[in-house]
Amino acid sequence: MNILQLLTLTLGKTTPVLLACMGGLLSELSGVINFALEGMMLTGAFFAVWLTYSSGSPWIGLLGAAAGGTLIGILHSLVCLRFRANQIVSSIALNLLAAGASGMLLNQVFQVYGTSPTVEKLPALNQLGIGRLPFLGEILASGAGELSILVPLSILFNLALIAFLKWSVWGLRLKACGENPLAAKAAGLSVNRIRFLAISTGGALAGVGGAYLAIGELSTFVEQMTQGRGYLAIAALILGRWRPFGILPATLFFGLSGAFSEWLAVRWTGLPYQLFLALPYAVCLGVLLFQMDKKQPPSALGRV
Amino acid sequence: MKRIADCSVNGCSVCPDERFSKTIMAQSQCNIENRLGPLLAMIPALAVGICFCLILAFLLNIEPGDMLAAIWIGAWGGANEAAATLNKMTPLLLTGLAVSVAYQAGLLNIGCEGQLTLGALTAAVFALGAAPLPWPLAMPLTVLAGALVGALWAFPAIWLRNSRGIHEVISTLLLNYVAIYLADFLVRGPLGDGTSMARTAEIPSAGIWPNWWNLGTFGVTAAPLAALLLSCILHLWRYQTYWGYEATACGNNPVAAKAAGIAVGRRQAWNFLLSGALAGVAGALEVVATHHRFYAAFSPGYGFDGITVAFLVNNVPGWTWLSSLLLASLRSADKWLQISLGISPNTIIVLQAVLLISVACQAGFRLPLSFGLGRLLERLQRHSNHREL
Repeated sequence: MNILQLLTLTLGKTTPVLLACMGGLLSELSGVINFALEGMMLTGAFFAVWLTYSSGSPWIGLLGAAAGGTLIGILHSLVCLRFRANQIVSSIALNLLAAGASGMLLNQVFQVYGTSPTVEKLPALNQLGIGRLPFLGEILASGAGELSILVPLSILFNLALIAFLKWSVWGLRLKACGENPLAAKAAGLSVNRIRFLAISTGGALAGVGGAYLAIGELSTFVEQMTQGRGYLAIAALILGRWRPFGILPATLFFGLSGAFSEWLAVRWTGLPYQLFLALPYAVCLGVLLFQMDKKQPPSALGRV
Repeated sequence: MKRIADCSVNGCSVCPDERFSKTIMAQSQCNIENRLGPLLAMIPALAVGICFCLILAFLLNIEPGDMLAAIWIGAWGGANEAAATLNKMTPLLLTGLAVSVAYQAGLLNIGCEGQLTLGALTAAVFALGAAPLPWPLAMPLTVLAGALVGALWAFPAIWLRNSRGIHEVISTLLLNYVAIYLADFLVRGPLGDGTSMARTAEIPSAGIWPNWWNLGTFGVTAAPLAALLLSCILHLWRYQTYWGYEATACGNNPVAAKAAGIAVGRRQAWNFLLSGALAGVAGALEVVATHHRFYAAFSPGYGFDGITVAFLVNNVPGWTWLSSLLLASLRSADKWLQISLGISPNTIIVLQAVLLISVACQAGFRLPLSFGLGRLLERLQRHSNHREL
């Protein structure tokens, strides 16, 4: 495996975490703790496969994934904002709900346990007809062409998110709700409505992250297929210190770490591959421990 | 305290924990209505859960009674099922206690999964190493070793909180994964039994807890009894000792507790370590009583289920047996649902999520049974006081 292949693998591992992390960022910047990313991704993955299966088009599946993530987001905001439940407990309950409901629906819709039938994938990069371009073509020919179209899309999404949070009025309003909801309210904003929108949009992003797993990388839904990537996204959010620009390097590092562990498992079976699986979490703890970055989380995070 | 909370209701700054803590404060008053508070808090959630079952049965074209009956038969239908349910209850009860002890001091320990995993691994390794010791010495020491490692794994979280101001939920979440991968590495490498099964060797029969009740094929070990005993001790400790009282005060209002001269940080730290130790005991008992060895990923999410167990009864240790029994029944009924009705065992997980959501929403709902009645009485009282004035 050469360096380009490692890079390809890294990008593939980064994408779902980056998408979920952006979802978490939107929600947490608006002041609501969102640990339900895992559930949003899982729901998104299931809806992606379901709708692709029933409609035949992976693009409709992608839309469905966004809708599925939004559904969990709406539930989360309902439970947290309307009923004022503990946000962490609500998130954990929603993760359970998504894990159970996706397994249950898998049985109801496809009459199978464990793994759904295969569906059509989203197009890969080398199917787009840009392979003839001079420089890009060489890269695509070397294996990067297998990557899903969601990989560049997720980076574009991230750039759009940075612009949105930095330069748009709505981005500023969203951050105001997270930093000082009372001041935001006094300025005439409807705090709960903004938070609701932020959580739902975040849910859609995390759902697309799930869709990447289901119809971008694989072409099937497997029970519990997110395998803690939602929690990894939260770790990336912490490592990126709640900065829209910080989460990109954080998720890239996590992706590299994951790719490296996969590489090790193949190459040197003597070395513990678990080390690189645990590395993202250990690095996160280290950053918290040594307080390498003074940036604090949104000050009203977790308070309704 | 109550006045402060009431004043901030109309702002958007009231924290849901304050409402929970109000109910906890109410429980420390000695009257029968408040003593039964946890039970009353559980009833609406149960009602929602049963409604959910009925709706689901309607959607799936199953006779509604059949579904509830299937859950009952799967959990308590025969000697084997009952024994399995009772054995499943142990880790759920202990992780539930772990969550409630931490929540008592105002902390949320979602790291039970990691503490439980490492506690179990330590217990398995210790039991293997302590084979030459006589059993009256080896058995308690095995469980203690598990507890110690559980507490050790909770320590970084509380230390980070007290010295760096990092929320314990974040650090325990991160520590969970580090623990799971660490255990996975150890059990595949240096501590494994040499096969590719990712498990330790089986512990010698002297270290295994014997059955006290030969129910069904497998029987019930003393582990559920030990867990019940622990819950009683914790209940007494919480309501009858200074330490327990001070810890509850830290959870209800840390500022007021500090002003009253309580060392808030230290109380919270000890409670959190105790919480980690309880999760470690859960893992250790699971090894010495049920599995007799440590498997990688042997816990089907007991750590997270502890949150459901604790919140279902409002974090009161003395009632935790009820919620853990409920969850254990549901968990052991899942296979029977698949066999008898042909619906996915995941239904049980959905049901558990519905229970947790409905109990978490109660703070905002103020369901008449648990909250409204009290408030109504309070209002009537205030009204009559006004008249007297």
